Amino acid sequence: MTEGTLIPWLLAGIPLLGVLASLPFRSDPERLKWSAIVWGVICLGSVVGFAGQVAMPPEGLLPLYLLPLAAIISILGQPVYEEHGPSWMLTLLILGLGLSVVSSPSPLSLLSLTLLLILIAVLLYRHHSALWPRSWWGIGAYSLGAAFAVVSVAADPPLSSVASLVACAVLLPLVPFHDGHLTALTRLPGSLPSFIVVLLPVAGLHRLVATMPTVPDSVAWTVSLFALLGASYGALKALAQSRVRLLLAYGSLSFFSIVWWFAAASRMVTPRSALLVGTIGLATSGLMIGWQVIRTRYGDDVDPQAISGLATGMPHYAVLLSLLALAAMGLPPFGVFAGFMGLLLSSPFPSLFGLFVTLLAWLAASWYIMQMVQRLLFGVRRPELRYTDLLRTEMASLLIVVLVLLALGLAPATLFTPEGMLLGTAPTGEWPTWNR
Amino acid sequence: MTLVLLVPLLLLAAACIAVFGPGGSEHARAKMAAYPVGAAFLGALATLYLVTTGGAVSVRFYDLSSVASFAIPIGFYVDRLSAVMMTLITGVSVIIYTYSTGYMYQDRHARRYLAMICLTDFVLICMVSSANLMMLFLFWQVLSYLLYVLAHNHAHAGTLAGAFKTFTLLRVADTAFLAGIALAYHLYGTLEFQELFLRAAETPVVLSFWPGVELSGATVVTLLLFAGAMGKSAQFPIHFWLPGSLFAPTPVHALLHAGIINAGGFLINRLAPLFGLSSTTLHVAFLIGTLTAVLGASMMLAQNDIKKTLGFSTIGQMGYMIMECGLGAFALAVFHLIAHGLFKATVFLNCGNVIHKARLEPHFPHVDHQIEEPGLSRLTWLTGSMTTLFIPLLILLVTHGVLRIPLLESQGTVIFLFFIWITSSQAILTLTRLRQVASWKVSAAMLVTLLFIVFIYLFAVESFTEFLYPNPEEVASYFRTAALPNWLFDLMIVTATVLTIASWSYLYMSAHGMTVRMPAWIEGLRIRLYLPFMNRLYADELYALTGQSIMRLVHQLDKHERGWSR
Repeated sequence: MTEGTLIPWLLAGIPLLGVLASLPFRSDPERLKWSAIVWGVICLGSVVGFAGQVAMPPEGLLPLYLLPLAAIISILGQPVYEEHGPSWMLTLLILGLGLSVVSSPSPLSLLSLTLLLILIAVLLYRHHSALWPRSWWGIGAYSLGAAFAVVSVAADPPLSSVASLVACAVLLPLVPFHDGHLTALTRLPGSLPSFIVVLLPVAGLHRLVATMPTVPDSVAWTVSLFALLGASYGALKALAQSRVRLLLAYGSLSFFSIVWWFAAASRMVTPRSALLVGTIGLATSGLMIGWQVIRTRYGDDVDPQAISGLATGMPHYAVLLSLLALAAMGLPPFGVFAGFMGLLLSSPFPSLFGLFVTLLAWLAASWYIMQMVQRLLFGVRRPELRYTDLLRTEMASLLIVVLVLLALGLAPATLFTPEGMLLGTAPTGEWPTWNR
Repeated sequence: MTLVLLVPLLLLAAACIAVFGPGGSEHARAKMAAYPVGAAFLGALATLYLVTTGGAVSVRFYDLSSVASFAIPIGFYVDRLSAVMMTLITGVSVIIYTYSTGYMYQDRHARRYLAMICLTDFVLICMVSSANLMMLFLFWQVLSYLLYVLAHNHAHAGTLAGAFKTFTLLRVADTAFLAGIALAYHLYGTLEFQELFLRAAETPVVLSFWPGVELSGATVVTLLLFAGAMGKSAQFPIHFWLPGSLFAPTPVHALLHAGIINAGGFLINRLAPLFGLSSTTLHVAFLIGTLTAVLGASMMLAQNDIKKTLGFSTIGQMGYMIMECGLGAFALAVFHLIAHGLFKATVFLNCGNVIHKARLEPHFPHVDHQIEEPGLSRLTWLTGSMTTLFIPLLILLVTHGVLRIPLLESQGTVIFLFFIWITSSQAILTLTRLRQVASWKVSAAMLVTLLFIVFIYLFAVESFTEFLYPNPEEVASYFRTAALPNWLFDLMIVTATVLTIASWSYLYMSAHGMTVRMPAWIEGLRIRLYLPFMNRLYADELYALTGQSIMRLVHQLDKHERGWSR
């Protein structure tokens, strides 16, 4: 094997090695957590070091950098509980598979993807409860995704394209295949939901790069219809939620659907799409870690309505959560805004109605996210609540997310993609159907 | 170039000093931060001089020719308009910051508050000196959030509701603004101001929404951008965030009413060459502005709370300003914006003293004069009538005949002269209420006021117009684009004249205790309108109802959909 082909194996192998190296610390959660973080950092370092030697994917290198970073912050933001130990090791394991999906050539990438989907389906089955019958839909969605990933290789076009598209729709959630996304974000334990919300959409986008140009026009048109439906449906459902993790799951579904709409309209995936997907995932991940902070203090089944006045009692938490909320609702100068604007300006939008729905979904986020944050942070200070501000690890985790989102909002697009690849996605400038 | 960057950086430094700066006490730190704020004002004055003498200054931190530009292209373009706005903002900031250091003395949140004030000033300066529409929008958005933060109080439910309302309503307008930017980019391929104006003028585009409905690209873009401006400048029907944010501290109000709310007027002026391409947008602006001015002023008259009164006065004035833009008098709108900003900042900073004094002194404001009020003397009445009705008419005739200004051909000239008349009438009507003063003094004051207003409009505004828009053909083209059909224009002038004269006569007759024969339906209408205007046309209730209806619908849909929330 040449040096270039070894690198994906190496990138995928480091986290898996980390899992093995962390096994001896299973009985000591503190050491296990730090071991997982150190292996995450080694993985990030190796990604940065070897990035130049990996074949440049069309969506750029940003997803590759984001995966280990998301794993690190997800583990870092967790409290040191014995029952969270397996989730940290699973995070490393899934990171290895995810890096293999994004950086490896086709057969290995597909194998890793199938394994990843099966693993998540198994994990969901493991954490299935009779109280949550809807999780069967999630398990079914991931199993379907795995099956369609295999079919996409075995079948001939156009069936292979459609099968690949369905697998992508499970990973990067698109209505009606979004149940997996909702289940994973609400049912998985510990650090897994906040990591998976970055990993799976990024993996889905990576698969979409090859799939989108090959799908028939009628399928692309249907996808854009489902995307618009998903953007509105996600926003409406998020507005109705009182549970934070569900709200975030539906909110991210709404934003991911926007990416689908642009991808279906332009029939391609660009580095700007990767920026939007990565930053939506990261911002949602940050908010999930922020919610984990509350659960650590007030219990897993805490009712958000019963909490208020955190701004006075937990000022550091309040500032970071507010900034994350701003990023998640697509306000400047954070990465979600930059990605959204990048797509808005560089992709053609075939219908004004589509643009209207997209903007409405963007606007709705200001309502449900702001309402959630305002409810938690402001209002009267409750005497029955004990306010303890962020611990150092929690603060580091949230701060890293905020700074990375800020950097992605301000950084030049060439940082992760050569200018030549960006030129291919340059703005159209003209709107032929509207010109006279 | 350095000077242009120095102004925002000094304000940013002031924010940093207010939070992290050295000093023995918080008050000392707050006072220390006042120096960079003052220096920023001096810097703005120097910038004004620089661009007046040397032309516009442009600084870009991105390469126009490269697609690898920053996601948010940071650049500054400071022309005369920007420099004037920078001077206004920094000038008002100096006053507000100095006032705030005393106002927040020994408050435990003073540090955060003062830093936020400086940060808001920084954002405002960056916004008015933006080199492109994208950067302008970026700071426009940040301003919406800062306004939310400044207008709310953690523990006060009413304030929180008001702040949330402010944020959501501004976001609605911002969404339209964003759509305008996206459309402008797709049609013209650039967001750089000068390039955008050039391409929009050179390449007229027609957009066809469905068969038979066509609009020019410039019209659609400017309508969307105008919707964005409507939000920040509190135009009807999205005006009610302004009264909703009245729980905010007094200096925040001064900043809001003197600086932030002017953003809409600034945006239209910044994009004047684009707005100047669309008669439809200017007519819509005129309509919205007029409606806002009339409703804002009417609601102001019915309020019984000093802050609400001032808030609605601002809404009325903003309507007036947008109306001026809609008439093509862009420079007049900026002039108005500056005058209003300075005036309203002063009034807001003083209104706390009035309330405080009223609380200390039960008989304040004094009521004892009412018993001996003599009513209007004949001299006052005569001077008032002359100055209000005849002298402006004389000016119109002289301007028409002697100066040979094509009065009947130029709606712009009529607009200027008509504003003279309306403004002087307003001022003089106010003076007539000073009944306790000897009549000759009031009469003299009326004459001086009239001369002052005539001077301001005919010379100062004219000079200011020439300063902002040195090319007279450009000014004339705006007036031409904004021109209304002659019959409509004449009708409006005549209606406004009749209403002004009727009001004047009504006031005089009422002051003399004369019986005013008013048709019963007008009397009834007056009484019936009082309640809705006092309740601010039930806009808050309507907003709450809309929110509740949307949420009810959302919950119903959620209930019917067998999703994850069940």
